Amino acid sequence: MSDVKSKLGTDKLPIGWNGRTLLQMLEDSERAFEETGRYCGIEALALMESDPIGYEKTFAKLRGGLVNARETAMNISASPIVKEIGELCFAFYTPEGDSVALSTGIIVHVHTMSDAIKFMIRKGYEQNPGIAPGDIFTNNDPVIGNVHNADVQTFVPIFWEGELIGWAGGVTHVIDIGAATPGSVPVGPTSRYEDGLQLTALKVGEDDTLHRDHELRCELGVRTPWYWKLDERTRIAGCHMIRDAVERIISEEGVNTFKQFMRDVIEEGRRTFLNRLKELTIPGRYEAPTFNGVPFKDEPRLPQHAQVDNLMHALMVVSIEAGGELELSMDGASPWGYHSFNCTPSAMQGAIWVLLSQTVVPNDKVNDGAYLATRSFFPPGSWTNPQNNSVSTGAAWGFLIPAFTGLYRILGRAFWARGFHEEVMASYGMTMNGMQGGGIDHLGKPCSILNFEISTVGGGACAVKDGLDYAAAMWNPEGDMADVEIWEILEPLIYLGRRIKPNTAGPGKYRGGSGFESLRMVWKTNDLEMQNAGEGLTFSAPGLFGGYPAAAGYRHNVHETDLLKQARANKPYPVREYDPEHSELSALTEGRHLFDKKTTTFPYPFRQGDLYLSWLRGGGGLGDPLERDPQQVTKDVNQDFLLPRYAHKVYGVKLLKNDDGSYSVDDEGTVALRKEIRKKRANRSIPVRTYIKGERQRIQEGNFIEPIRKSYNSCMALCSKWAKYYREFWDLPSDFTFSVGDES
Amino acid sequence: MLKHRARILAVDAGGTMTDTFIVDELGRFVVGKAQTTPENESIGLIKSAEDALCQWDTTTKEAFPHIVAGIYSGTTMLNRLLSRQGLRVGVIVSKGQEDYFLLERGVQTYLGFSYADRLHVVTHHHNDPIVPGRRVRGVFGRIDVFGEEVLPLQEGDARDMVRQLLDEGIEALCVCLLHSYRNPSHEQRIDQIAGELMDERGMNIPVFLSSEYYPVRNDFPRLNTTVIEAYAAQPSRAQLQLVTKRFRECNGKFETRVMASHGGTVGIDTKELARTLISGPIGGVLGARYLARAIGSDDVVCTDIGGTSFDLALVTGGDYAVKPYPDLARFLLCIPMIQIDSVGAGTGSFLRINPGSGRIEIGPDSAGARIGVCWPEGEVTTPTITDCSVALGILDPDYFLGGEIKLDRDRALAAIKDQLADPLHIDVYKAAEGIIELFEENLKGYVASAVLSKGYAPSNYVLLSYGGGGPVHVAGYTKGLDFQDILVPAWAAGFSAYGCACGDFEYRYEATTDLPVPPGSDDDWKVALCTMLNMHCEGLKAKIVAEFEKTTHGSESIEYKTFFRIQYMGQLNDLEIRSPSDRLETARDLDDLLQSFEETYGRVYARAAKSPELGFAITQAIVTGRVDVEKPRLPDETPAGPTPPEAAFKGERKVYWKGEWRIARILDMEALESGNIVEGLAIMESPATTFVIPPGATAELDSHRLFHLRFHQNERDH
Repeated sequence: MSDVKSKLGTDKLPIGWNGRTLLQMLEDSERAFEETGRYCGIEALALMESDPIGYEKTFAKLRGGLVNARETAMNISASPIVKEIGELCFAFYTPEGDSVALSTGIIVHVHTMSDAIKFMIRKGYEQNPGIAPGDIFTNNDPVIGNVHNADVQTFVPIFWEGELIGWAGGVTHVIDIGAATPGSVPVGPTSRYEDGLQLTALKVGEDDTLHRDHELRCELGVRTPWYWKLDERTRIAGCHMIRDAVERIISEEGVNTFKQFMRDVIEEGRRTFLNRLKELTIPGRYEAPTFNGVPFKDEPRLPQHAQVDNLMHALMVVSIEAGGELELSMDGASPWGYHSFNCTPSAMQGAIWVLLSQTVVPNDKVNDGAYLATRSFFPPGSWTNPQNNSVSTGAAWGFLIPAFTGLYRILGRAFWARGFHEEVMASYGMTMNGMQGGGIDHLGKPCSILNFEISTVGGGACAVKDGLDYAAAMWNPEGDMADVEIWEILEPLIYLGRRIKPNTAGPGKYRGGSGFESLRMVWKTNDLEMQNAGEGLTFSAPGLFGGYPAAAGYRHNVHETDLLKQARANKPYPVREYDPEHSELSALTEGRHLFDKKTTTFPYPFRQGDLYLSWLRGGGGLGDPLERDPQQVTKDVNQDFLLPRYAHKVYGVKLLKNDDGSYSVDDEGTVALRKEIRKKRANRSIPVRTYIKGERQRIQEGNFIEPIRKSYNSCMALCSKWAKYYREFWDLPSDFTFSVGDES
Repeated sequence: MLKHRARILAVDAGGTMTDTFIVDELGRFVVGKAQTTPENESIGLIKSAEDALCQWDTTTKEAFPHIVAGIYSGTTMLNRLLSRQGLRVGVIVSKGQEDYFLLERGVQTYLGFSYADRLHVVTHHHNDPIVPGRRVRGVFGRIDVFGEEVLPLQEGDARDMVRQLLDEGIEALCVCLLHSYRNPSHEQRIDQIAGELMDERGMNIPVFLSSEYYPVRNDFPRLNTTVIEAYAAQPSRAQLQLVTKRFRECNGKFETRVMASHGGTVGIDTKELARTLISGPIGGVLGARYLARAIGSDDVVCTDIGGTSFDLALVTGGDYAVKPYPDLARFLLCIPMIQIDSVGAGTGSFLRINPGSGRIEIGPDSAGARIGVCWPEGEVTTPTITDCSVALGILDPDYFLGGEIKLDRDRALAAIKDQLADPLHIDVYKAAEGIIELFEENLKGYVASAVLSKGYAPSNYVLLSYGGGGPVHVAGYTKGLDFQDILVPAWAAGFSAYGCACGDFEYRYEATTDLPVPPGSDDDWKVALCTMLNMHCEGLKAKIVAEFEKTTHGSESIEYKTFFRIQYMGQLNDLEIRSPSDRLETARDLDDLLQSFEETYGRVYARAAKSPELGFAITQAIVTGRVDVEKPRLPDETPAGPTPPEAAFKGERKVYWKGEWRIARILDMEALESGNIVEGLAIMESPATTFVIPPGATAELDSHRLFHLRFHQNERDH
């Protein structure tokens, strides 16, 4: 391919359409949208209307090319995150960086890559470093367009007779990014400078070949260079396959038709989104708050100013207009902090995108048109829009994931209101525990670990059925946990067990999807650092319509165990925790048990024989648990989804124990028990007015733990509109703040 | 007329009908049908054979003694799995893995879904477990990834677990422990324990060890496959023995073989019978390879259109690609299977306009056997591809399945108009034609990307089209792709059954090797590797010999082929590479093997993805062994000249083509003679398929009764 340049004859500027520069194209497009509200100002979808079938044919070819690129290229990677879990995605963009079509996969990135292309255009990359056929660009900078550094993007410009016809883009989640802590989602950094390798929209190759200096820099900058290398080759090969496909389509359809097609498809995507939202929802203003704890108070490895306990606040407000227009506001969000959970607006857009494509527009025609049909507000200075390039975003998902359960609950209500009960889902499960670490592996080689079982947590309960058990992640609907035998190639930890984790699902008439637990034993290494990453202090997967939230979290790891000795003496050893109140792990192993609510920790050392429990969360429930079919409750108990005593306590189901140890329902007992629970509820109930009065008093007295008081104060200080709303709702003085001991 | 002497019998036992395909020594054949009798398949099978043979005025008793080869393929095993009516299986796994069938793998909740549903997470759901939790037991003990014992097997515990399962009244016991493909000792010990316990009870149920049946990495697919072997395949053994017995009673002396997913046929006594779970689509690929070889090509694109799907497979250099971990019926498996890509696009695919976007959608669901709106009895209300073909005059509503079924063209037109043409604001015929073009364009896309993603071009291949819908659309989905040749066998509709008769008598076995070739390996290491690889291959050959020794062929005349699966060190995906030498002896032999891997890799994944600096890993050794068996002879007719005989002309029909009504000549496919050339626009009909030759193209029937579809130069350049 060394003669690409000469073949296509393009060394001269400008490279945009009709003699324009890319910057002119971008500005023209934005101006037209600003003025008309339509993509590039398109009024009629001329191509689609005059030749609906030809239009469809071209789309099929393009999407086929993208899906094929993904399916083929993923085989190059050595990383189970890419190959087994499918954490990669490819898309095709207009010269200005608007996505036209995409493959399956982590489509959260379709819009982040769009931001990166636009960044390069705005910064004058057309002049310097230049954009030519055969070039390769890369980016992983969240400030430019990304969620966190671990998602690495590759771009290849596609030319036709001297003009840039569009871009192929590909992204993979890498195993290690060379951050302050091993694994790809560093929990611990307090600034950008600890987030790992920074690839700030770089040109890294020419003539279809990577620059040697770039390759060396990356190989020396991450802990697992061999995975890095193959992941990068995966992205490049995929982009080149897309380029081939696009060139084929243009040679068949003609370049002018293809150009018009690109425009029409995006505008059509915008209109389709509006129609779809109009069809599925009732207009209105919907609210859903979420919280997430940041417990770093006593973490000695952090700088003094970062050693604080904090509470993330995310109030999501979605307004849906009669025409299907959707606006999402995060006004009221907490300020950014000295932790790695901050997000850039690009990441926030990505999250909106990924959730809408699983709910409102789950089809193969989704593109940036959907982005253009929505509006958003991310308050400057908040964790959703720090406006400060030095903050860390290394584990941006840490806040994104809980915060965006709000969107599911909001859409759930809007779908329900319209009558689309089959589409309703409560909060999805948190993709946690993040089992992360690094050191020397069982082959004696340096390793970096992030176990992607997190892509199979429980889904939210639906309005017509239970949530999906352990099979999806909010960021990738096509979740998979991969085989035990595959993870054991990669990680120096044996699976002692992988079992259903009871009580992880949020109870309800329909329960949330369940999580599971993996008990791992460190094997063939004494040089390993592991951390726990996940929420444990708040209910970040709330239920819907009276359903309960999914279980929060806890940690249980055991050091200096006697397990190997016990097992070799033919004694039983633990393979799961099961019920933390009657822990099998505690009962069957001696050792130093770390059994507490510290679910977000720094890496700490592990040796052969030590145990690490990683349990994956469930989804929120829907509806009153007392309305659940008692037979379903019994089935849940018999299959270990629910501990027997909670059948009684939460569901009001009286169980009978059978001879074989299984349970069945005591029908009469259940009717009586449920009656009794309802009676107790009635006795406990108070008028809403009284309740509000009591809560108001609690607020006035500041009767909360300090991190909550501080969190509210910081939100009020940052977002005056939300502060007014909060104070007015609770009928508080217009200058109300919580009193905080050490804060003036 | 010459008396027919039946030589080959191929049986396809479907869920409802059993088809038999009998070939004589000149390659002439006859097809029979009878209802499938699931409780004793041999009854339906013999009836079906009688139905075929009576067309040749003979009987099973008279014909069977001359038959030299009998091949069985069927869906009963698959149906048993789908309807969850298999054996009562007990399963032993590593302690802590007892929830395998509930947890599954996330991917099994959306396997086979359309693109839209893969995104639409609310549609994902788990499978019903094939083994309930109470019949799954875990045993203490662990082996690691190197095959080393981490924790010893606790025998007392194992004994308890087996005892508990026997108490559950199980009919078969499966054992699948972690990393048993590297070290089977724990599984083997459990086998002994189970044997002892069964002796104590005076009982005997079969035990299936994953390390013995499917010893390859990936615990969940290995468990699925081992369990399916016991659950669904084991009951078929008795059926197959009954079938053989009935053949003997009819004086048949031939050996019965079963089509296996790797593309060979195996004896009914084969150990791993689950390998025959998937046989239907395999036959077509074998038939295609056989035909292409007969006309001198080893590179074939096999395309099959049925009512619900479009199946596509590639034969390159005489070999088809084999998928080591295919999925079937929403199960991940580790049975090597010919790579056949299936997309939900068949002649019965539903056509709709998306109400949100106003755009056309084809499938992915279909009317299947209910054809379309044009068949009132099918009670379908959404138009299908077949409805469009009927509307345009391409299909004769009075000659569907040879006139067995009458179709209603007006119903089809009305549905297309109301549901498709009017919302698109276009004429009903334009809509119908456009949709067929879109359908064919999509298929063309699949064909092109299948060839291109292998790193080849269509001009390297011959394309073969079969299945009821293949010849209707073949011109549409091949035009402009520039294949070497496009073939349509005159017996396209019965092609899969025919293909089964073309299968080699061939076994294939794999062994996990996991041998590293680090960068800069010296010759000594390479020679040592050769020795180790040869040892694996010898072990596999011994398995093949053992299988052939159960047959009348013995082990004398076995032809072996050796393959290795290779990857760059650390990768998770490998490629199957034919070994350039039969036996690896020298460092040079190993280099040649790696060289061949690199060439293939560069072709498939682009040169830039080659990564030899990481070193290589040889992950599996594979040996196939085949013996010669009789296959159908291709018809060899004397050329009769280019002009079709008068008797072949059935008349003329108006067909809507490129926006106008044109007169198409209608020919009887079976009355055409070798050497005849038919110019488009023409439509050839046989009871089970219709072959469309567009304007600007010709179809020439050769002496083997294969049509060659050719586009005139100016048409091809389009």
